[in-house]
Amino acid sequence: MTTLKEEIIRKSKNLGEVVINLKGVGKKYIVHHEKPTLAEDVGRVLRFQPREEYWALQDVNLQIRKGEKVGFHGPNGAGKTTLLKIIAGISAPTTGKVKTKGRIISLIDLEAGFHPDLTGQENIFLNGLVIGMSREETKAKFAQIVDFAGIGDFITAPLYTYSSGMKLRLGFSVAVHAEPDILLLDEVMNMGDEKFRKKSEKTIQDMIENETTVLMVSQWRDFLKKNCNKLIELENLSSNNT
Amino acid sequence: MWYVGDLMKNLLHLTKKQSHWLDFLLVMTKKEIKARYKHATLGFLWIVINPLLQMMVMGFVFQFFVPVRVDNYFLFLFAGLLPWNFFAQSLTKCTPAFFYERNLVKKAKFPREAIVLSIILSNLFHFLIALVLLVGALVADKLFVEGYGMLALFSYLGRMLWLLPAILLLLIFTVGLSLFTSSLNVRFRDVNFIVQLAVMLWFYATPVIYALNLLPDLLWPVFYLNPMTFIVELFHYALMGLPITLLEFSWVGLLVIFYLFYLGWWVFGRESKNFDDWL
Repeated sequence: MTTLKEEIIRKSKNLGEVVINLKGVGKKYIVHHEKPTLAEDVGRVLRFQPREEYWALQDVNLQIRKGEKVGFHGPNGAGKTTLLKIIAGISAPTTGKVKTKGRIISLIDLEAGFHPDLTGQENIFLNGLVIGMSREETKAKFAQIVDFAGIGDFITAPLYTYSSGMKLRLGFSVAVHAEPDILLLDEVMNMGDEKFRKKSEKTIQDMIENETTVLMVSQWRDFLKKNCNKLIELENLSSNNT
Repeated sequence: MWYVGDLMKNLLHLTKKQSHWLDFLLVMTKKEIKARYKHATLGFLWIVINPLLQMMVMGFVFQFFVPVRVDNYFLFLFAGLLPWNFFAQSLTKCTPAFFYERNLVKKAKFPREAIVLSIILSNLFHFLIALVLLVGALVADKLFVEGYGMLALFSYLGRMLWLLPAILLLLIFTVGLSLFTSSLNVRFRDVNFIVQLAVMLWFYATPVIYALNLLPDLLWPVFYLNPMTFIVELFHYALMGLPITLLEFSWVGLLVIFYLFYLGWWVFGRESKNFDDWL
C-alpha cells in the first residue's frame, strides 16, 4: 500500500475545478537484474520462474484543484517521481485511472528535446513541440525565449558549441514560456550562474503565486512548507512483493 | 516542408491535436535530414553518390556471377537497389530508435511513433530525390538518344505512374515492420541483432541482383511470401517494363504488407504505454 498523508499548510483562497484526478492508481514494475533480453526471458519461462514484480505505487487516490500548490515529500523509493511521471503522461499506470486537464510541463530534464547538431533557433522549435507547444505559439514567443535565455548571437550556432549553462538556460526558457497550466518540479534544480538563478527563481515564484497549478517534489521540507499550501507525505509500505 | 504541413492543415481541417502531431513529425523529420549531412563536405550529394557507387561496384562484380538476361543490368540493379536501400536502411535505423532516444522517451510526453516515422520520412525524402534523378535520366535517354516520339514518350511515362502505388506499398510495409521491430526492441534488445542479420539474408531473398526467371519456376510462389519481391518487381516494371513474374501471386505480397502494417501499429499501441519502464 502507498499511503498519502495530507497536511494542509494554508488554505487556498478560491479553489477551482479539479484538474488532476487519480483514482486507484497503481504502478507495477518488473524487476530485471540485467538488461532485458529475449534469452533471459526464455530462460525464465523454461525454469518456470515467475516474474519478479515491484509495486512502486498502489491504490493512490488524489484530487488536485486548479491553482493548488502541492508538495510531495517522502523517503527514496516512495514513488514520488513515478507519481509525477504518471501525471505527466510519460508513464502509463498499471491499474486505475488518471485524468488531467490543461497543458502539463515538467521541469525534469530541460535538455531532453535538444539535438547537438541543430542551431539554438532550430532547437527552440524542436523542444517547443516536444513539450506540447504549437509551431505558431513558439514563433510568437521566439523573441521572448531568446531574450530570457540571454544567449545572444549564439542562437544561430549549433548547440554543441554551447556551454552547459547556456543549454540549461535555453531549455528552461522554452519550458517557462510554454505557459503551463500545471507545472511539475522535481527536486531543486541547478540553474546556471547567479544572475540566471535569481531570474529563474523569480519566474517559478511568479508561477507559484499566480493560478498555475504547481506540483513539486523535494527532500527539503522547509522549501515545500514555504511554497506549498498542501504537503503530501508519501510512503510505500509494501516495498517488495514478488 | 512547412508549406506541405500548412497545406495539409488547410485541406484536411485538422484539429489542434492533429496539427501538433503533424508539426512534431515534420520538425523531427527535418532534424533527421539536417543532422545527417551536417558535417559532410559533400552534403546532400551523398544521396546520389552512394547508390551510384553501390550500383557500379555491384554491377561490376555480379555481372560475372549472375547471368541476368535483361537489356541493361546496371539499370536493373539501380531500379531495385533504390527501394531496397530505403527499406533496409529504414528498418535497421528504426529498430533501435526508441532505445537510442531513451533520453527523450523517459523525459517528455509526445507521440512516440514520430521517432520511427521521422526516420522513415527522412529516408523517403532521400529516396525520392534519387528516384526523380533516375527518372529524369531515363526520360532524357529516351528523348535524346533513342529519339522517342511524343506518343511513345507518353506511354512510357504512363507506365511510370505505377511508381506511385509501388512507393506507397513500400512505405506502408516499411512503417509497419519498423514499428513492430522497434517496439519489441524496447523489451527484447535481441531484436536489433536479429534484424541486422535478417536484413542481410533478406537481400538475397529479394530479386535485386537477380531476376526471378533465373530460378526454377517451382520456387517462384515461395518468393511472393516476401513482400519485397512484389515491390521490387513493381519498380522493375514501372522503370524498365519488365513483367511481374507471377502476377496472380501478388495478392500474397499485398496481404503480408497490410497484415504487418496492422500488426506493427497494434504492437506499438500496446507496448508504447510502458516504454518508460523498460528503457
